[in-house]
Amino acid sequence: MTQKIGVIGIGHAKFGKRKDATIRELAHEAVKPALEDAGITTTDIDAAVIGVAGDEFAAQGSSGALIHDYIGMKNKPMFRVEAACATGSAGIRAAWSLIKAGLAETVLVVGAETMTQVGSPKATELMAKAGDTRWEYPFGITFPGFYALMATAHMHEYGTTREQLSMVSVKNHKYGVLNPYAHLQREVSLEEAVKSLTICHPLNLYDCCLISDGAAAVILANEEKAKKLCDTPVWITGLGSASDTMMISERQTLTSLTATRLAAEKAYRMARVSPDDIDVAVVHDCFTIAEIMAYEDLGFCKKGEGGKFIEEGQSYIGGERPVNMDGGLKAKGHPLGATGVSMTVEITRQLRGEANKRQVSGAEIGLSHNVGETGQYCFVHIYAR
Amino acid sequence: MKFGYVSWLPQTELVSKFIEELKNKRLMGTQCKQCAAKYLPPRAHCKCGSHEMEWFEAPKTGKILTYTLVTFGPESMAKYAPYIIAVAELDDGSRLLAHITGVTPKTLKVDMRVQVVSHHVTEDRIVYKFRPTE
Repeated sequence: MTQKIGVIGIGHAKFGKRKDATIRELAHEAVKPALEDAGITTTDIDAAVIGVAGDEFAAQGSSGALIHDYIGMKNKPMFRVEAACATGSAGIRAAWSLIKAGLAETVLVVGAETMTQVGSPKATELMAKAGDTRWEYPFGITFPGFYALMATAHMHEYGTTREQLSMVSVKNHKYGVLNPYAHLQREVSLEEAVKSLTICHPLNLYDCCLISDGAAAVILANEEKAKKLCDTPVWITGLGSASDTMMISERQTLTSLTATRLAAEKAYRMARVSPDDIDVAVVHDCFTIAEIMAYEDLGFCKKGEGGKFIEEGQSYIGGERPVNMDGGLKAKGHPLGATGVSMTVEITRQLRGEANKRQVSGAEIGLSHNVGETGQYCFVHIYAR
Repeated sequence: MKFGYVSWLPQTELVSKFIEELKNKRLMGTQCKQCAAKYLPPRAHCKCGSHEMEWFEAPKTGKILTYTLVTFGPESMAKYAPYIIAVAELDDGSRLLAHITGVTPKTLKVDMRVQVVSHHVTEDRIVYKFRPTE
């Protein structure tokens, strides 16, 4: 019989500028509540998958081994995954595969990153080095720069406006206030967002996600264990993943992420659902234009109508497809390795009905969408109660 | 001579040859002898798996597909900021990312015709960049 695989425990560290903790303490801060939530201890876990995107931010090599030891996993199997900004979702996919393959019944996924200790110019530098270092990095292109290239193209091709970009930011800040784990808990007005400091034209400060420290943890189990240990397992019913060229100049389109479209198609097919069935989603809004493209590439609206979708309020609670109720990367923060795991935490909360003031009422089917770099990696997971 | 405003990768034979040609104002790509795929900037191996590549000279005119004005760059590029980065499609359909000069963010438009020129950043560094034609 084909066994389902479900989420049985979730934990989340406070995202932010965490001078009080290093990567090991942040991991503990996420793992402890995840174990408590599942009602188990590390002795009940068969293996761990640990996601940390970069070594240079924390000035620590092999952070996977460090975290694994610190959280008391003793001699259990472990490996670390890396998929840039999608590292956490790669971890979920790897853990799901371990269980599916029968190598483990319960797997702990930890995503963590500490990014603020190096300062913004250095962090920008480190992230830029994740581009093609032979032919594109040598021009000083940055991550905001790459997405700004997509924003200019999208605005030119579809008439997406400056205000529509900022509306994504306004929404995500509004919901970030309701998430106690979010880095920024402050609403912004449309005027403030539109007029903020330019980083890479046309993107300004309020179009860009935060540089944050943080960690998140998820425990996955096979159906038998999940039903035994947990009253409210959230099943992962679809997984899709795809990739794209390293160099942005080799892309066939600059107004869409092909990896998102392909990953979403696979996930919808596996879960046997369509975009219309999704009650709540978390999408990769590293920049406001990325959320607008995600609406389109995930099939929440037609190509080119992402700007209109936010302008009409369709991605708010009460709209057609509520998106990023946790504040998104924009307000919650984007500690690279933690982000994808944090997305699974949020969808699990939503499907359990535990998201308090940001709850999408009656949500039964959820989706998480995590992009690595500028679309070199993409992971889409679909969840059901 | 090195390629780029900043770079640290070892210079391979392919890059040395590309730079030599760029110094002589030629923009060279490589093409696969097996499947005919063209690469600009050049690659030593084709994505089809073949390593039988030959050089071709790419056109030096095209049009702007998109652009951004980088105000806050990486730490290593601080002395060059702000700068405008564009992606252009050359007349043979290949695409290239580079700086564009001779325009302001206000005069720069998508679809603007540009030429690719060689530019010595310093005595020992070279890049290609875009300039508006005319």
